[in-house]
Amino acid sequence: MPLWTLRGLRRGVVTTRYPARPDPSARLLPTPPAFRPDMLTPGLADRLVSVCPSRALARDGDMLVFDVGACTACGRCRAAAPQAAGASGEFELAATAREHLIKRIPLGGRPA
Amino acid sequence: MTSQASTDQAVAERSEELRRTITRLFGRSLHIRTLDTGSCASCEQEIRLLAAPHYDLHRLGFFFTPAPRHADLLMVTGPMVRAFENAARKTYDAIPDPKVVVATGACALGGVYQPDPFTRGGVGDTLPVDAWIPGCPPSPLALLQGLLVAVGRLAGKVQDLDFALNGIPQ
Repeated sequence: MPLWTLRGLRRGVVTTRYPARPDPSARLLPTPPAFRPDMLTPGLADRLVSVCPSRALARDGDMLVFDVGACTACGRCRAAAPQAAGASGEFELAATAREHLIKRIPLGGRPA
Repeated sequence: MTSQASTDQAVAERSEELRRTITRLFGRSLHIRTLDTGSCASCEQEIRLLAAPHYDLHRLGFFFTPAPRHADLLMVTGPMVRAFENAARKTYDAIPDPKVVVATGACALGGVYQPDPFTRGGVGDTLPVDAWIPGCPPSPLALLQGLLVAVGRLAGKVQDLDFALNGIPQ
């Protein structure tokens, strides 16, 4: 008998209980970023827009426009500004309207 | 004016009734046809994992079918290359009503490719999309949630998220 059969029998059911219960492996998934409005300055926002490879970020006056649908969770913005961008931890992102996925984040930081 | 308002209300009531009927029809079991319109196959790989023991989407009443005529839900991946547009429309037309279209992955949502002579840069201009699943690629859990949102068995939650952090990023 193969080893994985024994291991499977010992551990029991492998099927996830999602959506009735949260799945423990969900925390390992790459997730789109979330931003700190109080750390975002216009200059930093422009830099984040320029590092985004999939055009998920855009600047609209004093707002950072984040298109979650276009984000590939590559992490370049988090690497460019670790103080202002972190993981959102959200993977349940399905929307019934495209505009639900477009988020506007105010630029609340003082220009340095 | 008054008759226009009452007509609008009648239409709204009728469409709400229709929506409930469709949700009831699709609430138990439906068949999925996947359509690759030029994706890199990561989305297909994740979709394929849905049938694996860990995710086992059959327990939720979803099944894959190769025939559009047997399908209720069209799962579209890729940025809709123009060469495939005609085939995509034919696939959509071949699915019997009522039907649901789910755009899957960042390309299909218009993120990665801009419209150019080769691609439409998203499926939204070609097909009437009912649900959008972000991700590059969307994980099988995200796909499960997206399918359940598409057929109205779960409420979407992304419209209530603001993607703003209060504390120091983790």
